[in-house]
Amino acid sequence: MRPMLRLLLAAIPIAALSIAVPLVNRVEPRLFGLPFLLCWIVGWALLTPAFLWTIGRLERRW
Amino acid sequence: MSGSPIALVMVATIVFSTIVFALLAVRRIKMDPAQYIVGGRSFGTVFLWVLLAGEIYTTFTFLGIAGLSYSAGAPAFYVIAYGAAAYAIGYFLTPAIWRVAKEFNLLTGPDFFETRYNSRALGVATAILYFLMVVPYVALQLSGLQILLRIAGYGAYDATVSVCVAFLVLALFVFTAGLRGTAWASIVKDVLVLGAVLFAGIAIPVRFFGSPSAMFDRVLAQHPQMLVLPAGGAVHGTVWFASTVLLSAIGFFMGPQTISAVYSARSEESLRRNAVLLPFYQVFVSLMIFAGLSAGMIVPGLKGTAVDQSFLLVVQHYYPPWILGLVAAAGALAALIPASALLLAASAVITKNVAGDAFGIATGDAARTRLTRVLVIVVALLALGFWLTSQRTVVELLLLYYNGITQFAPGVVASFLWRRATALGVGSGIAAGLAVAIPLAALNVAPWGVNPGFVGLAANVAVLIVVSLCLRRLQPSRSGV
Repeated sequence: MRPMLRLLLAAIPIAALSIAVPLVNRVEPRLFGLPFLLCWIVGWALLTPAFLWTIGRLERRW
Repeated sequence: MSGSPIALVMVATIVFSTIVFALLAVRRIKMDPAQYIVGGRSFGTVFLWVLLAGEIYTTFTFLGIAGLSYSAGAPAFYVIAYGAAAYAIGYFLTPAIWRVAKEFNLLTGPDFFETRYNSRALGVATAILYFLMVVPYVALQLSGLQILLRIAGYGAYDATVSVCVAFLVLALFVFTAGLRGTAWASIVKDVLVLGAVLFAGIAIPVRFFGSPSAMFDRVLAQHPQMLVLPAGGAVHGTVWFASTVLLSAIGFFMGPQTISAVYSARSEESLRRNAVLLPFYQVFVSLMIFAGLSAGMIVPGLKGTAVDQSFLLVVQHYYPPWILGLVAAAGALAALIPASALLLAASAVITKNVAGDAFGIATGDAARTRLTRVLVIVVALLALGFWLTSQRTVVELLLLYYNGITQFAPGVVASFLWRRATALGVGSGIAAGLAVAIPLAALNVAPWGVNPGFVGLAANVAVLIVVSLCLRRLQPSRSGV
């Protein structure tokens, strides 16, 4: 069932947390007091479950 | 405050109560090899979550991340990033591994290679590699434990004897309780570690700076470059960061103890649910970065391996002994619980893949459980002897663990994605990967800033493909699947 879409959904957080990092390597803007780079990484760690949950929905697992 | 035994007494009480609690929880379980080594493949989503969190977050999480934040700053962020990325891979990979394990009744990581590539030689070779990697990794946990006990004792004693006693008690615990015991003990460990991490990451910045946000202001005022990465190929630069995140995420599920946890799942679904839920744990891990950065402002000037003690020293200097006791107990369990899983996995590998498959010893159920149990004690003594005699080699052999575990990944992934992969190709790939990664890591060479393990992984994949394609006549590709 739409295997490319599922793989893409998993690849987005992986890419955001690795190869995208040079693009967000800065302190400003500070969000919630955190330097931007740290906020980006923590934010994507929080978003990863949403992406994986969506894949599970597409596979009709929950 | 100095010389107060309260903290040490608390650590000892909590560690031994945890072990007794876990022993009581498993007292009615009958042990066959599958029950002893992989919990009878019966762990549901929650129990599995507890076990995985218990195994994955070691003393490195506790001391190492704070230490790296203390000394380097932003490079420590990689731990949060790779943990989350790993579960995006694990969502697909772990159910696939579990299906094979269930169908062929696998007990160890090397069993997977033996079954998928229909090669006993590959199974034995990977078993020996796993064993060589695990012993120094256990020794590292013992070093972490020693640091914790020294600080909990306010430097009054050396703690070597205490580490030996605690570790031998742990070995007897694993002897009795198996993987299910480790999972029960993980419940206590996870709760204590979460409490300690919340304290370290929130309470310390609030007390000393007013808020975590104000703590970051202070760090930026003193070290403007500390919260961003150096550009490109520099040491700990962005290239290093991206390659290390990818490398660690790919290797995440390859550790022998992690494979055992994957096998212990009741169903594919409990593994998928865990892949969705476990990234949340990374948010707590990020609090250890707060703790390390705070410590950098409060107790500056630590050098070398002493940086790993930074946030514990803050607790020791500024907080009452009972808080130090709770934090140190959490840290002690963070050393001992993963060590228990490692002992069990290493012993199972030797029993099943070396003694059983290579020499035909202890192949019956009762004999296999018995031999695994005896080996738990033997491996524990070996690790202990190793730790007592060779502090320097530990660091060098750890390069084998960190760079080596990931080299198993191409063979595992290829077994699902590429039918033409052969045992010879996978074995040569692992050998090539190690041959490239270990010398680079030992000499501290990072080509264009790329993590040496990642270079090794690329060599591994290239050799796997070339050997599988070119030497097909020597070895037929796998049938079925």
